[in-house]
Order: sequence, then structure tokens, then C-alpha cells
Amino acid sequence: MNSPARTAPLSHPGWQLAPGLLLGLSLILLIAFGLGSMLLTAGSLDIATVLNSRYLQGVVWFTVWQAMLSVFLSLVLALPVARALARYKHFPARGLLLRIMELSLVLPTIVAVSGIIGVYGRQGWATGLLNEWAPGHGWSLYGLNGILLAHVFFNAPLAARVMLQALEAIPSSRLRIASQLGLRGWWLWRSVEWPALRPVLPGLFALVFTLCFTSFAIIMTLGGGPAATTLEVAIYQALRFEFDFPQAAVLAVIQLLICGGLWLLVFRQRLESSLIPNRQLSHPVPLRGWPLQSAFYATLLFIFSVFLLLPLTAIASRGLPTLFSFGSGSVYEQLLPATGRSLLIALPAGFGSVGSALFILASARKAQNGILKAIPTTTGYLPLIVPPIVLGTGLFLLLRPGLGHNAQGWVLVALINSLMALPFIIQILRGPLNSLDSHSLRVADQLGIIGWYRWHRIYWPLLRRPIALGLAYGIALSMGDFGVIALFGSPGQPTLPVLLYQQLGSYRVSEAAGTGLWLLILLVLIFGLFSAMGRPPIYRRHTSSSPALLEPKHA
Amino acid sequence: MLNVERLCFLYPGQENGWEYHFSLTPGQCIAIHGPSGSGKTTLLNLIAGFLEPDSGTICWNKRPIQHLAPWERPVTSVFQEHNLFEHLDVATNIGLGLHPGLKLSPEQKKQIDQGLERTGLAGFSKRMPGDLSGGQRQRVALVRAILRRQPLLLLDEPLTGLDSEAKNSLRTMLLEEKSRGVALILASHDEEDRKILADHYWNL
Repeated sequence: MNSPARTAPLSHPGWQLAPGLLLGLSLILLIAFGLGSMLLTAGSLDIATVLNSRYLQGVVWFTVWQAMLSVFLSLVLALPVARALARYKHFPARGLLLRIMELSLVLPTIVAVSGIIGVYGRQGWATGLLNEWAPGHGWSLYGLNGILLAHVFFNAPLAARVMLQALEAIPSSRLRIASQLGLRGWWLWRSVEWPALRPVLPGLFALVFTLCFTSFAIIMTLGGGPAATTLEVAIYQALRFEFDFPQAAVLAVIQLLICGGLWLLVFRQRLESSLIPNRQLSHPVPLRGWPLQSAFYATLLFIFSVFLLLPLTAIASRGLPTLFSFGSGSVYEQLLPATGRSLLIALPAGFGSVGSALFILASARKAQNGILKAIPTTTGYLPLIVPPIVLGTGLFLLLRPGLGHNAQGWVLVALINSLMALPFIIQILRGPLNSLDSHSLRVADQLGIIGWYRWHRIYWPLLRRPIALGLAYGIALSMGDFGVIALFGSPGQPTLPVLLYQQLGSYRVSEAAGTGLWLLILLVLIFGLFSAMGRPPIYRRHTSSSPALLEPKHA
Repeated sequence: MLNVERLCFLYPGQENGWEYHFSLTPGQCIAIHGPSGSGKTTLLNLIAGFLEPDSGTICWNKRPIQHLAPWERPVTSVFQEHNLFEHLDVATNIGLGLHPGLKLSPEQKKQIDQGLERTGLAGFSKRMPGDLSGGQRQRVALVRAILRRQPLLLLDEPLTGLDSEAKNSLRTMLLEEKSRGVALILASHDEEDRKILADHYWNL
């Protein structure tokens, strides 16, 4: 008998089940307390009067309108880009473009906004050209224009990436048949591409809608005034400036109802799992095209690359001189303490998020009972249903009397940030975890690879890279957070995004560019560092040329 | 000695279940044959502990084992495919059969090398399963099964789809195990497998 299995550390099933369940229950309780305190506060208002308020109606209407427009424009741009990337693999900068598109998930909004201002703002490059070619054009970045532009900048790459993965997951056999039949145009779309895209579209719509609906930094910086106020900004103003807590609570409840309702619809259709496909399955198959197709795709991808690269270039070109100016009154006097504070929040948030995701996934896999299974699964997706600002508002109202010290606020920010990242990190880790089929698990069972041994010997090699990527995402999302920190942070002790906002607000453009570039460099370093840490040992990389590697391509 | 007595199993929604009743002595091989869905794999899964029987007993040397976890049973399985962890190299795949935490003694490491050498896979220890042919993968799985030194070997179509050279090499290895006193249960559609390996033949 294989005695070592009997002594495998942590082999009791409780070790897989209990931590995730306890964590899930704690998070559900935390969210319930937050929401409860909000509902109690809102209950003190005359709801009918509030709902009839023109201000509230205007805010809700504008929030929905800008989000719908943003989703429409993002998806309309993303679709041809995804098709071009799937079909035209010879585009010279394809790899670079894909990397930049990935950045959209973690690029801090406030940093991107500073780059967008550098290109499309009053003194921006593109506006300068427009002034020369079409004087009196009337273009202004501030208001709906800027909001839509920034939302498309962020969400079109994300949507294109998800669509591209769906297109690349089309089985080779189906593509080969389409190739052999010479399908193109409408019939290629109807018979091959649309069936692959259709399952991801509802989830993608919900994701992009939620991101635009709950957008905060973009509205704060590019909104241009009260006419362009969204629910998120209105909550912030009610809490921080008007001290109108019941009003903030009502706004948060409305936001929760809209976002939560949308995601519940998506979950009821069981479409969430196909939002981010796990692996690339197909190999390039030549498909019949129409004349000049390659030229069209190349032009489209070139324009899209320029659209994404211009703001980044603006950040780099304006920020570099600031970062290279040393001496007294140097930008580093503010940058370094802000960096310290950002890291102090982001590191625990990132590690907490990955740890929680692992526990939750382990529990969800182990739980047999329907209710027990629902707890960790629900926890993983609650942050999508309950937007961070709503949770933040609830906790702010709940803990308001006791929140005296900055550190307490930072702990809350780290906690909410780690919750924000949880759905994304679960998506990253779930694919590799599920890549072990039932046969492999049976073999592992028979060999006694259970408990700690299974985690160390079987899962760790599969999860090393995704965990590193998840850590990088978690830390980066928290580093770039501007919404939650605006609620709990202190203006006197800013994190990097808050410092950047303060600099933009006081027209210290070059300092803002320096801060933006600094934050961007930090994120690149974080991704580089974790990417290196997640790489397998060299000998394994050299001996593994296997196409059958189970690790998902996106990881 | 393996004794299977009135072992019953019914899949949810199935009308007629299976009942198994047989015994097997060390060094014997029983071959099971039957169309798809006739219960060959189900029997192997019941003995291995991957399925829980509705009733009946499985005894090894008079000790009931049907309530033991798969890793506590005196059994090793070799399936038609998916025997190896795709993301781990050959040596690790075999080593995990010797110690589930891969805490291997120098002697055990030597055994792995010898096992690979014996099966014509010397120098393959750092290869990934994806780099191996079907026959090579099955040989790795069999090396692991043999090195585990369990007295009962469950073989679920282990030679299906392999070329004749690979089949012959694996059959030789299985015959050697048999002569060492290992009991085999072989589920196979292949007439030749049954003729060469089996002492008893059972049509389900």
C-alpha cells in the first residue's frame, strides 16, 4: 500500500472546503452589512420625493445614456478589429497591439485620461492639427465627447480581446470545412463566426456596460460640469462635499439595482463562464477573402494601434522631462511618499485577492451540496453585482463614526480593491484549475497525490504563471484605483492616482504627466517582475515544446 | 487474492444495473470483453474506488477494501489515455507514483531511470508527455504502474490504438508482471491481447 498518501499534509477535505467557505461567508456578511447600513440610511428619506427629483432623474438618465452609447461604440469598433486580428495574422505589430490591448484592463483610468487630454484636449496634438485644418470646428474634449472617447479607448480593446479569443476558439475542423467550401462574407459570418461570438456577447455587453456605468475618474476629469454627472460621481459628491448621506444611499441603491439586475440576467442565462475563454484551440486556417481584404485589415489595425498608442506616447513624451528633473522642489518629493502609500494599499490588496480567489475556487470545486457550492461561487461574482463605490458607500456609512485614522481608511480601500479584482482573478485561475480532466484527477487520487501534495506537485506547476499574472493584475488594479480611495483617502496624504488628479485639477500639467508616466512605469515593472517570477525553470521551458500544454494562452 | 462478491452498481436513471461476482488469484489475468456500455470500465472503476458500489464486497486477501479511498487500495490502473499529467515531465509523472509528494530516495530515482531504460525510453525523463507518441506515453504509464508494486493491475484498453511494435513491447512487460505474481484485470476489445495475456475470459 502506498503509505505516504496517508500522511499527506492537509489531506482532510475540510482544508479545501472550510477556508473558502469561511472567507465567502465573511465577505457576504461584509457586503450585507454595507448594503444594510445603506438601506437603513436611505429609509429615512421620502422615497417618492427623491425619485421625482429632476436632479436624480437627470443623473440616472445621463448615466444610462452615456453607458449605452459607450457600449455601442466600443463593440462596433471592437468587432472589426477582432475579426481583423483573427484573420490577418501577418500584421507586423500584431504582438505589440495585443499587449497594448491587454493594458486596458489595468491601465489606471486617471493616467489614460491625462494621455487623452494630451492628445485631444485644448492644447492636445490632435486638437492642434484640427485647429489648423478646420478652424472653428467647435471640438471640446470635456463633456459627452470626452467621456465616450475615453470609454471607447478603454473598452474597445477589452471587447476586441474577448471577441478575438472567442474567434480563436473556433474548432479547426469547422474552419477547415469553411475553407474547403470557400465560405466568405455573410456566410462565413453566419455559419462560423457568429456562433462563436454569440455566447460571449451578453456577458461582454454586461461587463462593458458596468465598467462605463460605474466609471468615476473619467467623469470627474472629463465630464466638464454638472450636466455630465453620473451616479458614481453624484454618490461621491453627496458623501464628501454635501454630507447628504441619505441621498448618497439612495443613489447607491439605484446603482445597485441597475448593475445587479443586469448581472443577474446574465447569470440566469449561465453565460458568465464564456466571458473569457480559457484557451486558444484553433490553428491558422486559410479562409477565402474578398479583394483588398488584407489592405483593409492592415489599415484598420494601423488606425486602431495609433488610437491606442497616441495617449500613451503623450504621457511618455510629456512625463519624461519631469521625471528627469532632479534637485530641490523635485517632483519626487511628492511622488515617492505617494508611491509608498499606493504600494502599502496595493500589495495586500493583490495578495489578498489572489489568496481569496484560490480559497474560493478550492471550495467551489470541493463543495457537493448546492448551498455550500453557491457560497464561494457567489462571492466570486458579487463585486460585479455590487459596484465598489456602492460597497464603499455602505461601509462608509456603517463605519463613519469610528473612522478616524488614515490607516483605517487604507485598510478598507485595500479590502474593497481586493474584492474589485476578485472576479478577474478568478477568471484567470479557473481555466488552469479546470484544465485537469476527470481522468487526471482519478490518476492523482489513485497515486495518493492529495492535500498539500496535490497542490504542490500538480496544481502549482499549472498555476504558477496564472497566479503571478493574477498578482500583477490585483496589484495594478489597486495601484490605479481612484474611486474607492477618493471616498476613504485623505487629500493631504494622496496615493499616486489621487496625486495625479490633484495635479490635473490645479493645471500642473507637466507634473501630472510625470506622475502618470511614473505610475505607468511602476505597472510595467510590476508586470515584468511577476511575469519573471511566474516563469517555469529554464530546463523545463527548453524541454517543453508540447502543443498539448494545458496552460491557457491568455495566462 | 481478489474476491468480488455480489457487487452491484446502478447509474442514476439506468433501468438495469450490473452485478459482478468473481475471484482472481495472484499471477492470473482475467480479460473482460463486451460492447460499449456493457460495464467493463464500470467494474474497473468500482475496484479502483472511483465509483462507489450500491452493495456487495470487494476483498483483497479477505480484507474488505470497498470503503477505502482510491489511494489506499492495492491497485494501479492504466487507462487507454490520459494516464499522464500533461504539464509534468516524464520523470515527475513516474516519480509521483512512488511518492505522492515526490520525496524520492536515490534508490527510487535509480529505479525510474532503470524502468525507462528497460522500456526503451532512456533519456526521455525530462520530456513532456505532449512530446511522446501514444506508445511511448503508455510505456511511461506502465513503468509507473509497475514501479508502484501494487499486487493488482487494472488495464482499461491500454493497448488500443497503438502500433504492433508498441503493443508487443507492452504485452511483454505485462507478461513479466504476471509472472511476478501480479494479478491483472484487462478490459479489451482485442482478441490477440486476450489470447496472449488472459487465463480467463469473461464476456459481459
